[in-house]
Amino acid sequence: MKSALIGAGRIARQHLTCLQGLPGVTVAAVCDRSPAAAESAAERHGVRAWFTDHHKMLAEIRPDIVHITTPASSHYQLALDCLQAGAHVIVEKPITETFDQLEMLLRQGADRQKAVVEDLNCLFNRAPREIAARIASGDFGAVTHVEVAICIDAEPGGILEFLPHMASLVHQFVGPHRTVHTLWRRTDGSSGPADEFRAQIDAAQGTASLVYSVNAQPDAFWLRVYGRKMLATANLWETRLTFNRVRPGVAAFGSALDRLEEGRTIRQAARRTLLGKFLGSPGTYEGLFELLPRTYRALAESAELPVTPQQIREVSCLVQALKSEHAE
Amino acid sequence: MKTLVTGANGFLGRRVVAALLARGHSVRALVRPATNASALEQLGVTDFIRADLVTGHLGDSFDGVEAVLHLAAATSGDEHHQFAATVVGTERLLTAMTGSPCKRLILASSFAVYDWSCIKGTLDERSPVVSSGTLYARDGYCIAKSWQERVTRRVAASSGWELVVLRPGFIWGKDHTGLAACGQPLGPVQIVVGPMSRMPMTHVDNCADLFARVVDNPRASGETFNVVDGPGERIWTFLGDHFRGIGHTRVRIPIPYALTYVAVKTLFGRLAERSPKLPGLLVPCQLEARVKPLTFTNRKAAELLGWHPPLSYRECLVRSFDVQG
Repeated sequence: MKSALIGAGRIARQHLTCLQGLPGVTVAAVCDRSPAAAESAAERHGVRAWFTDHHKMLAEIRPDIVHITTPASSHYQLALDCLQAGAHVIVEKPITETFDQLEMLLRQGADRQKAVVEDLNCLFNRAPREIAARIASGDFGAVTHVEVAICIDAEPGGILEFLPHMASLVHQFVGPHRTVHTLWRRTDGSSGPADEFRAQIDAAQGTASLVYSVNAQPDAFWLRVYGRKMLATANLWETRLTFNRVRPGVAAFGSALDRLEEGRTIRQAARRTLLGKFLGSPGTYEGLFELLPRTYRALAESAELPVTPQQIREVSCLVQALKSEHAE
Repeated sequence: MKTLVTGANGFLGRRVVAALLARGHSVRALVRPATNASALEQLGVTDFIRADLVTGHLGDSFDGVEAVLHLAAATSGDEHHQFAATVVGTERLLTAMTGSPCKRLILASSFAVYDWSCIKGTLDERSPVVSSGTLYARDGYCIAKSWQERVTRRVAASSGWELVVLRPGFIWGKDHTGLAACGQPLGPVQIVVGPMSRMPMTHVDNCADLFARVVDNPRASGETFNVVDGPGERIWTFLGDHFRGIGHTRVRIPIPYALTYVAVKTLFGRLAERSPKLPGLLVPCQLEARVKPLTFTNRKAAELLGWHPPLSYRECLVRSFDVQG
């Protein structure tokens, strides 16, 4: 399959690194409005052609798949152009800025029998996959509640970039939302973008709460899933994943066993995280390195995509609901 | 000569502006929109362009300007941030400049662009710069400065501009004395790799003096100059002066360069090729770019321009630490 990429920024490097390792995939071109950004990305990843005009790239290269890794405001038009040029699109999150734009893209994709995939890579990190597997096996029990908390020492305003991640995890474990209540706060009282965000969500199969904080430290991406038989806790920026379970017998004894097992798991995860840094593992982008191979495989085999249009639609709907509370 | 100075409010920028004004040039300072430019105003600058190089409107910046002194660059942040701020910002500046009558450009490049792994003995302007094959094993600053110079040379050549490239070593001065080559603090001690290696240093006032001199010097046109104050102070010596200057009592633990390099190369050489997250000191080519024992020279600037650093090392210490020499 012949791939191309538009937008040679930070996340593009992860896409290109992943694609380099995929059998049967050739990255044919990189495009960016900055000639130096396009050329350097191509040079670094051994890509033969680079462009500053995506129309020209689509016409000359005729890629099968285009990865769109530009800022969100340009996603819609670029994706539309790629679909109209006959390419599948894999678009960074958030896929579009409005729900209407998303509907248009999905319709165009369906009409042309081309895939429209949003990079909801968090779902493909090891921890959410393992939790989902335990839920599917029945060991976990029905999920009642999900907590997602991101603490990050960053400029205020970054929350909008993380909403799709948070929304996709909520959707994964408790389904489409019914109602949301949000709190957006600027700690210093100024009129700048919010640096604290909270949300309570009522969803089809349970409830969820979201936390985003620029002020709370240390940096972490906590995911906690509450089931009727188990509780799962993960930090998606590390490899830590622990399970607490209901054990038969004396409750206090079971709890102590849980703590011992938890301690052992955390130590193993710490070693794995540290080793990963030295060995050049994808780190926080591990989900992307799982999602892209699955997507390419599904396209090659005409199988169901790992991120479906319905999933994108429902996650986007939740993101828009969270954002609309902000606008009010 | 009316000179547009980008990055005018930075550590080097302020001293360059002062040096330009002292030599009778007029200055237009390009600063970010939110910058507090009171320090430049105190120097007597009244002509400001407030614009972000990456996103702002630069079209009017060149009216009446005879030379551009491009100092703006990111010195911190991740690789992507440094590339965007330094390289994309430069691309936009050059594009705006091509629409103006201004034909003279002085670029502040860096010693980081040299391929330290290939150089033995003395590093001078004839030494090889890092090639595409090894560039991406270096740090974000090196990648950004290499691309900035590459982009600038291309546009200058195709536009027929007079280009002067100055490559300063470590620029130091008051409140900027903790240089990257000075080792790693570890609790109460400072681990000093390659204590006898020399550092390509230039005091900010010496460096600014050369920048101000080349602005209207026709002998500099088309040339590249390294900006160093001399062969370089030894890391051990400078670190001692630095600790004395800031009243630090931290114990220095020396580790020979050769031993460190062999250990790093043996243990991390293969890993470094695929792991972008390794600390710089564990990546052989980055270790070399910090502490490889080389000597440095400003002979070309001396011979071609008659430039000699106005301040001695001792005078620089006095200026930097507010102490008596």
